[in-house]
Amino acid sequence: MSVAADTIPAKPRRRLPGNVRIKAFAYLLVAPAILLICGLVAYPFLFAIWVSFTDMVVGSVGNFVGFKNFEYLAGTATFYSAIWNTIVIVLVSDVLKLGIGLGLALLVHQNLPGRGIFRSFLMLPWAMPAFVAFLTWRVLYQPIGGGINLILTQTGLYPEVVDFLGSRSTAMGSVIVASVWRGFPFWFISILAALQSVPKELYEAAIVDGASTWQRFWNVTIPSLMPVIIVTTLLSSIWTANGFEHVWLLTAGGPSDATMVFPVLAYYGMQTQRIGEAAAVSVYMLPVLGILVIFATSLMMRREE
Amino acid sequence: MTDSNPAKWSRRRVLATAASGVALAAATGLPMPAIAQSRKLTYWGGLIFSDDANKLLSDTITAWGAANGVETEVVMINQNETTQKVSAAVSSNTMPDAMDTGLGLLRLLGRQNVFSDVGELYKKIGDAQGGWFTGPDTATDLTADGGVARIGIPFGVNGNLLLRRKDLLEAAGFTEAPKTWDELKMQAEAVNKAPVSGLGLALSNVGDANLQVAILQSYGGRIADDAGKTVTLDTPETREWLAWVKDAWDKKLFPAGNTTWDGAGDNQAYLSGQAAFIANTGSVGIAAKKDDMELFEASAFSPLPGGPKGIVSPIDVQLRAITKASPLQAEAMALLEHLSSPEFMNAYFNVAIYGPVLADQEKLPAFDGTNTILVGLLGLAKNGTAPAYPDVNNAAFADFGSNFIIPKLAQRVVVDGWDFDRAIAEAQAQGQAIYDKY
Repeated sequence: MSVAADTIPAKPRRRLPGNVRIKAFAYLLVAPAILLICGLVAYPFLFAIWVSFTDMVVGSVGNFVGFKNFEYLAGTATFYSAIWNTIVIVLVSDVLKLGIGLGLALLVHQNLPGRGIFRSFLMLPWAMPAFVAFLTWRVLYQPIGGGINLILTQTGLYPEVVDFLGSRSTAMGSVIVASVWRGFPFWFISILAALQSVPKELYEAAIVDGASTWQRFWNVTIPSLMPVIIVTTLLSSIWTANGFEHVWLLTAGGPSDATMVFPVLAYYGMQTQRIGEAAAVSVYMLPVLGILVIFATSLMMRREE
Repeated sequence: MTDSNPAKWSRRRVLATAASGVALAAATGLPMPAIAQSRKLTYWGGLIFSDDANKLLSDTITAWGAANGVETEVVMINQNETTQKVSAAVSSNTMPDAMDTGLGLLRLLGRQNVFSDVGELYKKIGDAQGGWFTGPDTATDLTADGGVARIGIPFGVNGNLLLRRKDLLEAAGFTEAPKTWDELKMQAEAVNKAPVSGLGLALSNVGDANLQVAILQSYGGRIADDAGKTVTLDTPETREWLAWVKDAWDKKLFPAGNTTWDGAGDNQAYLSGQAAFIANTGSVGIAAKKDDMELFEASAFSPLPGGPKGIVSPIDVQLRAITKASPLQAEAMALLEHLSSPEFMNAYFNVAIYGPVLADQEKLPAFDGTNTILVGLLGLAKNGTAPAYPDVNNAAFADFGSNFIIPKLAQRVVVDGWDFDRAIAEAQAQGQAIYDKY
């Protein structure tokens, strides 16, 4: 037996070509990450889209209803308020955050004493939990006992008590102020980092060419900051449009629908236990946010290259 | 020699072994339905304002389990999150064996056939304790939904009582609670002086503001017709109610900010001494009793006032239900029977904010008259109106309420300055769109 076994030549193992094996091995290595992304991102994302086309309520899987949820939403006045309010909050917040972030970054970029402490101090609003920050703002806005009203009335700046959150004329502005306060540090730190990477030689060359301070700012600083400003604008727009707590904790979308935005509208959908409708609200936001995400991602990738 | 070496680990073998390991770990780690993993009886209790009540419920279930050889686990759920948690649990087949639930969620899940029939137990408990009060009995009969009549055991009634600052009102010459909404407005106006606002009622997009539905109904207004299909807001009665709201608003009787209050807005207004009247389930009374005895003693509870067409004071009923998928049906039934015992319920009523559901519970020491909140809740249990009454309590009505159409109607008038016709037309259209879904 052993003789026979020794004499039978070993069957040659079929092996894949080297480059295929390497590719297969590479795919195998990234497979866990892909599975994770599919499980945690792709599946919930696609499931939410599917749910938006069903009449799912709590406790049932729901039936396919086509565009019924979308048609229903499009027939409500609150839906259009949410569109308008979301646009207003995003645009106004971004402009204010840009102005404040840029101004403070330029200030702190100067060689001032104690600027390290000042930088850290400016980051505090961002470091504070949103829940705490916006509840604090809610207290500040209170008509009776609220800090802002106390200052206004005690100093005689405005004798009447202002119902900042309860009045249509002031509610949106109040939400935006609180939102800007919490969000500007991200702009500040992004712009400050970009400022520090602007080559000094550019400024030196501009000075040699006789450029004024304004001309150096407009022709050197701003173009150098532009890529960061664009990316920050896109990211901030996405976060603000998706933001829930700043509106929910301050006004819950009211008074009337003066501050109603998409995430709050979706949450109300959840409260009515009609999950299909709530998902449809979110899906309505997808095209706009999707474009912003793709734009931001491509810009960031281009910058990395 | 080389091929026969068993200790040699090729790259392929390493990968195969690793893959097998991962597969095995994944397979053994897959989440299994809770009820399939053990014979533990899991109970989801609804967290309420009283820590003592929460602890009493949890301890009682644990003690019952120990005495009866049933392993128990009590999970107290924030009632604001019940819908989300139940939604996830139903989808993942991880519902508890038994749970506390409000009537709305019970009805919704009842249509999905989630809960067991507890008709026999319902009758047994009722027969043993003098029968069920009419309000909770009628409200929890789900025959009209087309399924099983009884899928929950009521254990408490709650609803709005009128809480008033009798110290301020008596000083203004009002010794009796207001009997009508107009009388309430008159009394509120008499004590409306900063920092106290007369009417601490919410007009925001929050459940408390749906009190306005009851006020509208007491003026003769209806949300929908008797078939529960067609919205009927465009009526003189709706205008009469709106005139009442507008007049109170113009007289600045509502606290500033009440159009954006959250669920605690009226509580905070009253507890901070900024409101003379609020409508509340009794939780504010408990908080005042605990933290501000002076305020508690200066307060009084009374039933909701009425309108030209009578009093509409809807009750809500809290129930205990058993999940149909639970393998511990007999144990869960025994637990629910135990939790309905007079001994436990007397102790529970003393620390919770619920009114009685059974006739004999009126004789419990808890309702001997010393606790003014419980006296009010007893009155609510006996005289309160069924949910939605005089409207049809169907899914559309619940959806209508969850969308805060009536508070929003009031907001259109007082915040946006719309005239009645325009505001009612919008509410009518929005309401009909909701009703048309069902």
